[in-house]
Amino acid sequence: MTAPRWACAVLRRVAPPGRAEDVVGDLEEAHRSRVQRRGRVIGSFLTGLEAMDMALTLMRQRVRQRRTADRPSPPNGRPVVRPSRTTWVSWLDFKLGFRMLVRYPGLTVVGGLAMAFAILVGASTFEFLNQIVHPTLPLDDGHRIVGIRVSDAETNRWEHRSLHDLAAWREDLESVQDLGAFRTLERNLITGRGRGAPVSVAEISASAFRVARVPPLLGRPLVEADERPGAPPVVVIGYRVWQTRFAGDPDVIGRTVGLGSSQTTVVGVMPEGFAFPVAHGLWIPFHLNVLDYERREGPAILVFGRLAPGVALNEAQAELTILGLRTAADFPDTHEHLRPEVMPFAQSILGVRGLASLGLLSVNLFLVMLVVLVCSNVALLMFARAATRENEMVVRNALGASRGRIIMQLFAEALVLGIVAAAVGLSVAGLGLRWGLNIFEQQFFEAGRLPFWFDDSLAPATVLYAGGLTVLGAVIAGVVPALKVTGRGVEAHLRRAAVGSGLRFGGLWTGVIVTQVAVTVVFPVTAFLVQRDVAQIRSVEVGFPAEEYLSVRVEMDPQNEPGSAEWSRAEYLARFTATYEELERRLEAEPAVTAVTFADRLPRMYHPHRLIEVDKSGPSAPDSGRGHRVSSVRVDVNYFDVLDTPILSGRGFHSGDLDSEQGVVIVNQSFIDRVLAGSNPIGRRVRYLFFEELRGVFTPDREHDPWYEIVGVVRDLGTSVGDNAKNAGFYHPVAPDSAYPVQMAVHVRGDPESFAPRLRTIAAAVGPTLRLDEIQRLDQVHYDELRFYAFWFTVTVLVSSIALLLSTAGIYAVMSFTVSQRTREIGIRVALGSDQRRVVASILSRPVVQVGLGVVAGGFVVGALAFAGLGSLSLRQVGFVVAYAVFMMGVCMLACIVPTRRALRVEPTEALRADG
Amino acid sequence: MPSESLAEFELLVTLAALRLGPEEAYTVSIAEDIARRTGRSVRRANVYTTLQRLETKGLVSTRLGNPRPERGGRPRRLVAVEPDGVAAVRATTAAIQAMVGELGDVIGEAR
Repeated sequence: MTAPRWACAVLRRVAPPGRAEDVVGDLEEAHRSRVQRRGRVIGSFLTGLEAMDMALTLMRQRVRQRRTADRPSPPNGRPVVRPSRTTWVSWLDFKLGFRMLVRYPGLTVVGGLAMAFAILVGASTFEFLNQIVHPTLPLDDGHRIVGIRVSDAETNRWEHRSLHDLAAWREDLESVQDLGAFRTLERNLITGRGRGAPVSVAEISASAFRVARVPPLLGRPLVEADERPGAPPVVVIGYRVWQTRFAGDPDVIGRTVGLGSSQTTVVGVMPEGFAFPVAHGLWIPFHLNVLDYERREGPAILVFGRLAPGVALNEAQAELTILGLRTAADFPDTHEHLRPEVMPFAQSILGVRGLASLGLLSVNLFLVMLVVLVCSNVALLMFARAATRENEMVVRNALGASRGRIIMQLFAEALVLGIVAAAVGLSVAGLGLRWGLNIFEQQFFEAGRLPFWFDDSLAPATVLYAGGLTVLGAVIAGVVPALKVTGRGVEAHLRRAAVGSGLRFGGLWTGVIVTQVAVTVVFPVTAFLVQRDVAQIRSVEVGFPAEEYLSVRVEMDPQNEPGSAEWSRAEYLARFTATYEELERRLEAEPAVTAVTFADRLPRMYHPHRLIEVDKSGPSAPDSGRGHRVSSVRVDVNYFDVLDTPILSGRGFHSGDLDSEQGVVIVNQSFIDRVLAGSNPIGRRVRYLFFEELRGVFTPDREHDPWYEIVGVVRDLGTSVGDNAKNAGFYHPVAPDSAYPVQMAVHVRGDPESFAPRLRTIAAAVGPTLRLDEIQRLDQVHYDELRFYAFWFTVTVLVSSIALLLSTAGIYAVMSFTVSQRTREIGIRVALGSDQRRVVASILSRPVVQVGLGVVAGGFVVGALAFAGLGSLSLRQVGFVVAYAVFMMGVCMLACIVPTRRALRVEPTEALRADG
Repeated sequence: MPSESLAEFELLVTLAALRLGPEEAYTVSIAEDIARRTGRSVRRANVYTTLQRLETKGLVSTRLGNPRPERGGRPRRLVAVEPDGVAAVRATTAAIQAMVGELGDVIGEAR
């Protein structure tokens, strides 16, 4: 609940010497009470306003003090008269700008909203990317915490098995201190009553607590003695775990808890917000011993440390490179191609180093383009407004104002609009950022696993960036129209003033309107495609009552005790199978459970595709020359029985299939239609294809993957969702160890979700190392994706609405301007008895052409998108798109009605009096 | 030397600081006290600059308190009214009372 970072930074900068801490402290305190009273969003907004008010006051005070200090003592008591200086922008211009906001409310609302939207998108995206590319660790001297990664120059991949390197660096590396390492483990934390829940545990060197420089809230941190073999197992818990699992018990130190299969003593509690190294809630000692593993073997670890005092990052890199070369010379078999790299800690975790600058550049380019496009439209409106004030400018010029002075006046007016828009945009940008971070967390991490340095408040750099965008917007919206208005010489306008204006909407503005209309066509189509995907996901028909099933991912720890050696893969899988079968047996004995089955992917989940070939003993559909694209699923032998899916032809699986020499598969109906061209599948054979990198072709792996015989057919069972719901797929019968991590489906009587706690209790009783994750109803497995789609849909609808609003306002401005410029001509034509339809046609011809061109350009882009495969459209969908384009054209035409009616009502006598 | 006369807002700030006392008077609490008692909206920036002005005149003095968790570990700058400040308050209120005099009937009793 801290005050916005940018606000604190601004105040710190403008506060008088020695007063920064208490000024910022006041802001923090006021912010806290405001948030409690009014909520986070409004509270943050008001705090931002208060900080700006305070900053302006402090700056004024500073200027006043400086002036007082500089002022010479008046001779003879008379004030010193300073020579006047020519100012390019005066305070009066800004006052005039504020008046314009009130006088032209339509332009203020439309233009302001558009600029606010552009600045909102710009600021929140910039902040979001900066947090990824240039993150700041909220720790003491956080910028000096580094990570060390090793890259393999031969494979161009990271090498994380660095236990031996860590030992060598600890001996020799002087420029990085307190070197340590960690790895993340998922363990069940069992705190009384035998119920466990998975937690993210950092097995971490004790030096981490020195690197982070954060003392524990209670007890002690981990120490080196905890890492020694035979040391009693201990754990340090995070604040949230302490609150949620121990109810904030102040006597928690010394309590014994179950962590996986071991009993561990709590020795410390870390303060709120501490989650070093990434998003961890528990910390156990780093037990991995370098002697247990060969070089480039063992588990993956991440190495961290703190730059030694006075050492820069490049100096540390230089020393590390020398050590790396020495190791490569000593151990060429394993280290010849390894290159250690030291980098800021957060970058070492996210691994974004390579793409960072390029990605940031391209996104910035996009944001600038967005601002340019939006502000071009605002410029259109400003131009129309400036045109109506032409006489004012002519008079100003006659009174001595230069062209530059008039341009600066219009710039100041646009800047005022931009500043108001920026204030609105920035106050909402926090929401946008929070939204983006939520999506980012869902897509790349898990709930609550966002790295601790991500923050939903705006950094000072972002506010500066938004300021830059505002100035850019003001230049486009103010200076460009001003240049047009004053372009051909104000004197010439003065000469023409008596006979009407010479201003015209030229090709630039036509281009702006056409682009805007095109964007207005393209964005809603994108939204339409998103919505179509959502509808397809919702409508996936699996053919059985998915809402009666509980879906749960089952995994198991790879070792018995933290610190003990990990099991071999074979031993581990054997133990997993035994444990899983015990879990299944106990579940089936539960009265609430009807049946249990498993697969590596359940219906409605994402199924990756593989390429296969079919034997030539019968007809098959033509493929792309690279095999047929299908989904394959590994399932329990009772899978179809439990999911109530009948075998349409052939036979189902039986336990004998697991040990059979001849592999068997069951295919779905789409497989017959798409791969076998509708022919009888029973007895046909299929085989996987693999990409052979050297030859660049897909070939069968004859040695490892034999032919599989098709023994049965089932209907489509949700092997795919999205744009290709009718997806060819087949099923292999396997034991649980071959489908690891197993997705278990539990058919429950009554509400499946109410069975979840019981399921956890049973799992904890079967084995404390067994972990259950993602427990949810089977019909809800796509909720995360739907949330993501909803986000995109909202964004595209918002952008479309803004674009439509701008298009309409732009066309309205053009029409109004045209009519006002042609009042005299229209009046004369009407007076001379010209046909009204011809007058209307001559007025409408320009906007019709502009909108038509925009629709055609937008349609072209939509067609290109469809052609590129982003969304193949059916005839009906094309119909929707065309209907939308017609609707959009109608809306734009509506904008022409008011000016046209005004033109036709012109009295000829008035028209003749009009000066344009 | 006659006591310093206070402007209206200076008087309000000094009175609030006197009422809150040297352990509780600081910018935020003074602003809240004035807002609560007078019902007017008070900008903290104004309180801050007024306190600085009063401090320059020697009517109040300030010192840093202890770091506090609700302020992100930052201290408050506590305000104490100096004897000259008390004298200035006395002089200003006396001037106001003298001017009001028997006009109480005309302007109504202050509540």
